[in-house]
Amino acid sequence: MASSDEKPGPTPVATGDKPTPPGEPTTLSSKILDKGAGMMQSLEPVKEMKQHVCTFALYAHDLSRQIETHHYVGRLNQDVLQCAVYDSDIRKANLIGVEYIISPKLYETLPEEEQKLWHSHAYEIKSGLWVNPGVPQMLEKPELENMACTYGKFWCTWQVDRGDRLPLGAPALMFSPQPVNRGRVRPDLVQRRDEKYKISTEELRESRVDIQEPEIHPNADYWVKHNKGFAVDVKPADMKRLAPFP
Amino acid sequence: MKLAQSHSYYIKSVIEIESERERESNLMATSHVDVPGEPTETGTALLETATGTIQGFQPINNIHQHLCAFHFYAHDMTRQVEAHHFCGHLNEDVRQCLIYDSPNKDARLIGIEYIVVESLFLTLPDDEKPLWHSHEFEVKGGYLFMPGVPGMVERQDLKQVCKTYGKVIHFWQVDRGDPLPLGIPQIMMALTRPGQLDENIAKDVEKRFGVSFEEQREQRKDLTGPDHGIHPLANAAGRGLKTELREVDIPPATSMPRVFV
Repeated sequence: MASSDEKPGPTPVATGDKPTPPGEPTTLSSKILDKGAGMMQSLEPVKEMKQHVCTFALYAHDLSRQIETHHYVGRLNQDVLQCAVYDSDIRKANLIGVEYIISPKLYETLPEEEQKLWHSHAYEIKSGLWVNPGVPQMLEKPELENMACTYGKFWCTWQVDRGDRLPLGAPALMFSPQPVNRGRVRPDLVQRRDEKYKISTEELRESRVDIQEPEIHPNADYWVKHNKGFAVDVKPADMKRLAPFP
Repeated sequence: MKLAQSHSYYIKSVIEIESERERESNLMATSHVDVPGEPTETGTALLETATGTIQGFQPINNIHQHLCAFHFYAHDMTRQVEAHHFCGHLNEDVRQCLIYDSPNKDARLIGIEYIVVESLFLTLPDDEKPLWHSHEFEVKGGYLFMPGVPGMVERQDLKQVCKTYGKVIHFWQVDRGDPLPLGIPQIMMALTRPGQLDENIAKDVEKRFGVSFEEQREQRKDLTGPDHGIHPLANAAGRGLKTELREVDIPPATSMPRVFV
């Protein structure tokens, strides 16, 4: 089993012509339980997500597969961010993965083999693909300059664009859009996003022209120089045990 | 192979740097290495307060529940992690959870879990089922609990969770002291029988959250697992799983429009 599998085995789950995911609508009693629990529990870590970013990502084993992503960003410190990534911004959006974002200073401390799994954000931001929906440009600009220098590592756990109605298969590495032919995002995807938020990616690009072009580390965006991406395989293995299993 | 080697040199040097600092938090258990980086600057914090107020967070607002449980690596039961799940319902039959290493503000996002009812689990392809684990034992055993929620209310939901299957992927191996999310995703498994959970980890969690797994076990005697019994392919098909990274050739672009972003 690999993140690069074309489609998981034939089951009703993988068709994608019906709403994702299958299952009954949430019952009233579940909603009440949830509300009750929600009142008694503080859910602190989740409250730390204070930014919504809408951008695009490409599968690291197949750049032609591109998705619009919604990152809900939480900050651990000035140099490290962690994001819950969804496929839309609605309440019932599918949780499709996690992205970590770090400063150039930290990126440089990573071993070379690790650096290859990370992507740069400069182009994504300067091109206007990366937006903070609802935030006035004046407010977001100063921080965009910092973000433009950062590196991200994004694992996708639910390949909704493949038609999966449930999260199937191995987790997949994702890459960011890049200014080379294969790294550019399809116009129809951008247009659909722009229409939804009533923005213009092109106008954003113009307004961000003065954001400094950072120097990108040679090990980031591995595929650009090497024409090779990455896939993750899940294989059977002998589990080291301290008690019988299962 | 190379990734693992360079990783261990890296960890060693970061731990040397970080070893003087001590993280103090009575709710933090698993690892003791600080996240590297400078404290958040005022300007950044102010901006995020603003964006936090202006923007919409609907998918996050759908998260209504905190569950604490234990995971271990699907290739190594001896490496166990306290996992704080923050869960939302996609519908009655499917939940999705963000997994953190603590319930605190500074918790690290270490993984994701998806939870489905038995009927949906049964529709999964046979090569997918091993990536999922059953919840019956950890629920009935008292090891999975909802911090802060009275037992009677908790049990209403656990009655359902007991019959579900979960798929857990971790990205940040905090149990081995990684200061950052290094390496590749790990498939995780959950407790399936007595004797698996490390006693020290168990006692530590019981103490910090003021719970008793044994008491919970008593209260949960009437809960039942999946109607069809635990599927033989679940829980890594009774064996184990590992992940590996592979380089692939990128297919040449077909006709990629030049004019565009």
